[in-house]
Amino acid sequence: MAKPKNKYKVPILDGKISIPKIVPGASAYEHMIEAQKDDMEALGFPFKLQDGWKDKALGVFKEILDHNKAVRDYMDICVRCGACTDKCQFFLGTADPNNMPVQRQELMRKVYRYYFTPSGFFKSLSNAQELTEDVLKEWYTYFWQCSECRRCSLYCPYGIDTAEITMAARQIMDSIGLGQKYTTEVIHKVFKTGNNIGIPPAALRNTLDDLEEEIEEEGGKGVKIPMDVEGAEVLLVPPSADFFAMPHMESLKGYAKVFHKAGISYTVSSYASEAGNFGKFIGSYQNTKEINKRIWDEARRLKVKRVIIGECGHAWRAAYMYSNTMNGPFDFLDSKYKQPTHICDFTLGLVKDGVIKLDPSANDDKVVTFHDSCNVARGSRIGDVVGGQFTIPRELIKAAANKFVELREGTTKESTYCCGAGGGLLTEEVMNVRLAGSMPRMQTVKEAVDNHGVNFYALICAICKTQFTKVFPLYGLDEEMVGGIHQLVSNAIIM
Amino acid sequence: MAPLNLTTAIYLLFTYTVGLIFVIAVVLRIYQYAVTPQPIKIMLTPAPLTKSGAFARVLGEVFFFKSLFKSNKATWVFGYLFHISFFLLIFMHFLRHFIYSNPLPWWYNIFVGIGIVCGIVMVLSLFLLLMRRVVIERVKFISLFQDYLILVLLMLIGLAGLSLNYVLTPNALTVVDNQLDPYMNGLLTFQFTNIPSNPLFLIHYTLVMLLILYIPFSKVMHFVGIFFSPTRNMADNPIEERYYRPSAKDLSI
Repeated sequence: MAKPKNKYKVPILDGKISIPKIVPGASAYEHMIEAQKDDMEALGFPFKLQDGWKDKALGVFKEILDHNKAVRDYMDICVRCGACTDKCQFFLGTADPNNMPVQRQELMRKVYRYYFTPSGFFKSLSNAQELTEDVLKEWYTYFWQCSECRRCSLYCPYGIDTAEITMAARQIMDSIGLGQKYTTEVIHKVFKTGNNIGIPPAALRNTLDDLEEEIEEEGGKGVKIPMDVEGAEVLLVPPSADFFAMPHMESLKGYAKVFHKAGISYTVSSYASEAGNFGKFIGSYQNTKEINKRIWDEARRLKVKRVIIGECGHAWRAAYMYSNTMNGPFDFLDSKYKQPTHICDFTLGLVKDGVIKLDPSANDDKVVTFHDSCNVARGSRIGDVVGGQFTIPRELIKAAANKFVELREGTTKESTYCCGAGGGLLTEEVMNVRLAGSMPRMQTVKEAVDNHGVNFYALICAICKTQFTKVFPLYGLDEEMVGGIHQLVSNAIIM
Repeated sequence: MAPLNLTTAIYLLFTYTVGLIFVIAVVLRIYQYAVTPQPIKIMLTPAPLTKSGAFARVLGEVFFFKSLFKSNKATWVFGYLFHISFFLLIFMHFLRHFIYSNPLPWWYNIFVGIGIVCGIVMVLSLFLLLMRRVVIERVKFISLFQDYLILVLLMLIGLAGLSLNYVLTPNALTVVDNQLDPYMNGLLTFQFTNIPSNPLFLIHYTLVMLLILYIPFSKVMHFVGIFFSPTRNMADNPIEERYYRPSAKDLSI
């Protein structure tokens, strides 16, 4: 394996996911770049700490405790049994004890004890701590080394969800002006242009034209990617990475071919050109709702009958789990269909009904494996039965390719490891944290490559795709291995 | 009725105060968990599709510690043994009050024998749980003063309880038993009699009172909180049934 020539700390791949010895402060210096003024203000947050920040922070903390059952409950009931301590990929990768879920929670819990419990004069004994700038620095460091993947919650006897605590902490920090550049910038772009990347409508149309040409050159004659078409049957909302990034675009070609062959009219939207929802990452109800609302407003405006969400993990969770609560029921859409529908569910349905035909031998050069993305696996459901989020993508892969192997047992389905970059971590400045977080998953990928000759790593999450495309070469693996399930469909579909 | 001694007067006051604080604090805590709105569905999937299914999932956690079993077998064994023996002992302490009569039923000694076994299991499992905190680096790192405090307190309660059966002569134990029965009756009927004066018994009793006093302000509240955990007690039906809590603010999700 060639040694990658770069400045990053790349974990060694020996196939083992071992529990490291604790190294306090090991990742204390991996910081996020702080948010910019116009981004923070666009999201309704102040910029930089102002006088009286502490009272403001405690006020917001109190409001969250009074209005969020999960946070209120989880602050009290942890017994520090330690079941979660070896479950987080960021602890396994960094060895920093503050990346053990319970210890990450403790950063907030110690402040909770000081201000909101009668620990009285036992404060130092019971580990109660005043909210100081130092504590805030710790919060900013470690609550931005959590990808909100909820693997810890799966193993907690009480289901304590560190993601909820991370979201609350980020919400408190945002409300006093301590924001993270990447997420706030992205959300601001959605408000300005409709998508995370900041593509204006004209540029989006150009890209779609190019893609149509590419598809035609590859033998897909007449395949169109319509935009802003009123009265189309389906509103397709992919993550915006599907328009611009590789290998994401290959999946978009796949969606287009499926719609074309099925003869179902569809459209993408320039106003709701983003399935992803970064409001969720910063735990902001208001911002999550605003971003989600764009999809439903657009579905109404374009008078479509159904909404289909592309390959994106947290986008699917936001659409499936949040939108009915936040922006009301989907009663204006056709009640014949499940609203919203996941693209894998949609395509697999067409395959099963014989509407489209796949030739799996088209992918015979590939040995495929599948990575369950955390927000799909642990935060939502696809299809009608419990666990459909596991079976439907696998069935679709098997319909599109002959050779499929599972990753190591105990690291798939609900026990899946995070790619290491979810929850707003997909940014350059924390590359070492991302590498460390990807380590457990990469051990199992390496194993699958060595033992089974896996050469295609199928994903249904835009963040996973970007992260693995970036880290595979650093580990000495081929980035071309990374792709979406609809990339396989795109190869296999009989045109 | 014999006049009450000072010790009894103090213990009566202590017991009622502790009982009152416990009930009020626990009820308040339950009320607080119950009225705090959960803004959005956050059940950890795969989750049951119905409310009854979700409730069954919570019961699976309560009775079998299912998630802990998935997580760590040793912790599950130690924890499960402790909880089982602890609850059996609480139950048997109440039961004893109903079966302690004159003459004693023939199986009374078997009953006490089972209690002693439970006591030994409880103290041993607590010791193992304590050793985890001392020996395993990660668990030691996360352990706080209050984690050791509750383990030691429970162990002392168990040891004091066991010592009543082992240190005291059978006659001395019978004296305690004979005094305890009317005392406990008195607590419920306000026909007060003197508390057993045996110091070992008083240590056991005092420690139990301290435990009950401490519970509402400690992590032991997990026995209430587990029923309110949204990642476990919510059904996976966000599309089928709109989940909306107007009292939840547009704040944190």
